[in-house]
Amino acid sequence: MKIGIPRALFYWKNPYLWEEFFKSLGEEVILSPETNKEIVIQGTKISDPETCFSMKVFFGHVFWLEGKVDYIFVPLMKSNKDKLEYCPKFFGIPDLAKILVKTPILTETFDQRKRPIEETLEKIAETLNKDQKTTRKAIAAAFAREKEKKAKEEHDFYKTVKSEKKKIVLVSHPYNLYDDYINVGIRKKLGDLGIETICIDEIPLNLGLKFSPEVKFHWEFGREIMQKTEEVLRYDIAGAIEISSFQCGCDAVLKEFVEKRFKQSKIPFLYLIIDEQSGDAGVQTRLEAFVDTLK
Amino acid sequence: MKLTFAYWGNYTIAFIALLRTLGVDFISPEKTNTATIEEGAKLSPSMYCFPLKVNMGNYLSSIRKGADTVLMVTSLSGSCRLRYYAAIEDKALAEAGHKVDFIIFNQSYKDIYSKIKEISQASNWTIFKAVCIFLKKLRMIERLEKKAQYIRPREKIRGEIDEVLKWSFQELDEKHNLKAISVLEKEIYQKIREIEIDRNKKVPRVGIIGEIFTVTDNMVNFDIEKKLGEEGIEVHREMNISYYLKKILFPCKDWIMQRKIMPYLKSTVGGNGRDAIYEMLGYGEKNFDGIVHLLPFGCMPETTVRPILEKLHKQTGMPFLSLSLDEQVAEAGIATRIEAFVDVVKNHYFRKEEKS
Ligand code: SF4
Repeated sequence: MKIGIPRALFYWKNPYLWEEFFKSLGEEVILSPETNKEIVIQGTKISDPETCFSMKVFFGHVFWLEGKVDYIFVPLMKSNKDKLEYCPKFFGIPDLAKILVKTPILTETFDQRKRPIEETLEKIAETLNKDQKTTRKAIAAAFAREKEKKAKEEHDFYKTVKSEKKKIVLVSHPYNLYDDYINVGIRKKLGDLGIETICIDEIPLNLGLKFSPEVKFHWEFGREIMQKTEEVLRYDIAGAIEISSFQCGCDAVLKEFVEKRFKQSKIPFLYLIIDEQSGDAGVQTRLEAFVDTLK
Repeated sequence: MKLTFAYWGNYTIAFIALLRTLGVDFISPEKTNTATIEEGAKLSPSMYCFPLKVNMGNYLSSIRKGADTVLMVTSLSGSCRLRYYAAIEDKALAEAGHKVDFIIFNQSYKDIYSKIKEISQASNWTIFKAVCIFLKKLRMIERLEKKAQYIRPREKIRGEIDEVLKWSFQELDEKHNLKAISVLEKEIYQKIREIEIDRNKKVPRVGIIGEIFTVTDNMVNFDIEKKLGEEGIEVHREMNISYYLKKILFPCKDWIMQRKIMPYLKSTVGGNGRDAIYEMLGYGEKNFDGIVHLLPFGCMPETTVRPILEKLHKQTGMPFLSLSLDEQVAEAGIATRIEAFVDVVKNHYFRKEEKS
């Protein structure tokens, strides 16, 4: 069977996990391509005009898979392993995807306040008529792949922080940080300007660190970003850039406190809002200007 | 300590009565208007939702009159941004140089009671009395709003019911005990009975759904109920404060709602998202002639469910108008869209009538 995974939104929260899981179950996985202009245009056309840019891109990816696969995988992500919630817009995506495409949607609710992720994965395997042994193996393989990725990230992080170059931390959701079309190639652009970039989610958490935030977010990314902001401030950072999707409701809250925290520590802060109109040139100019101000 | 709170349509009267009976020192919020909205929006994060900006405008005018503590009810267990209203407002006000405290009520009866007790230091008897007066006024306001929805399209002399309403709310604000309120109530209903209406008039029905604040506060929704009513349309709206209080009291209501919307949406999406679908399905069953969906621009739950509402609109053929409101929306633009919508509704209605 062919299972399509949209390379957007939830995909970036656990890259490899889904892919590896379905592959190990013996299914053929088709990933939508890296975001491109057509996907963005299509997504913008079919989504609610007031929803966030990330959602529009996501639906563009879903639409790309239409007719190309037997199932499109769109999980209902509710809460993570720390029992914190995802953005409430995530709660609606399987039902909204069903409206947009005719291809059947493969979905299951990931609510780790109620059951661990393994059990939900088992349920999916059951839907696909897999036996227990195969399922267990597939879950193990998927987790192993994730762990590998985490270990590599940690390794890279410690290498980056030791670098002599100026370092900028990029604060955003993984679907903005790692989708280079969406973020207008910000990592490469900064690299060309002689800057090392650190993506906020790669920062390993030092569990010993005391953390008493001004607001206690119930959003998983909110808590994570505030915590990791605290963590990264212990390193030698030249500046911070926060990237938000246009019309991101959550970031309207989060940004206020992220910005405040960096400013308190006298770290220059740049706020970039991205949408389908973000142009290469405009971002380039702003980045250059920002880098110029760094000590 | 001088308290204040956000203006909330006609219900503001009930909140004033509550605080007054409790005997606390407070400043009534100024009625929301273009100037307060503009001022509030200026101080708020621009990507934040509209109700926060409106509230900020209310607080600012009260702060100028000496208020130093803001009371607000919020949902500390919800999934959307409402949860962070106080945090954001506190920060924005502080940065603008206003030092105010926030007292936040969670949407639970226990929490509300203990906080009221703490603020007012009133006896249980006084609290009981205050709550009774609050509920009495609230019920009256909501009933009057419903009455007006029925009468507006049918009154012979346009504007009569709104005259009565205006007078009633003014008087109601000045009545401080249950007895006086009851006497006034009789008087009001007498006046309403005197309004001449055409009971046999053919009147299309439109349901209003959406985010609670924008559907209930006539100052932010440009008095949409009145506009539709005067165009000869009977408006229905389920969402109001009682609806909410009942939902807290009877959690099974939520279960019933979820069961009904299951084929369309399997999960909460925060705020009033599911209610909108539920209500639209209900109006569809009752064969209504149109739906108006109101939301703050970019409201997370409402924009999530809007494609579902649009699907229902296509399935049922029921005319549908979704209006996103924010500080940049002008009344003229809204009025034009309502006018066009009214035509669609009437066509729909009369075609239906002809068939039957
Ligand atoms: S967190 Fe923001 S960008 Fe992500 S889905 Fe929610 S609203 Fe959109």
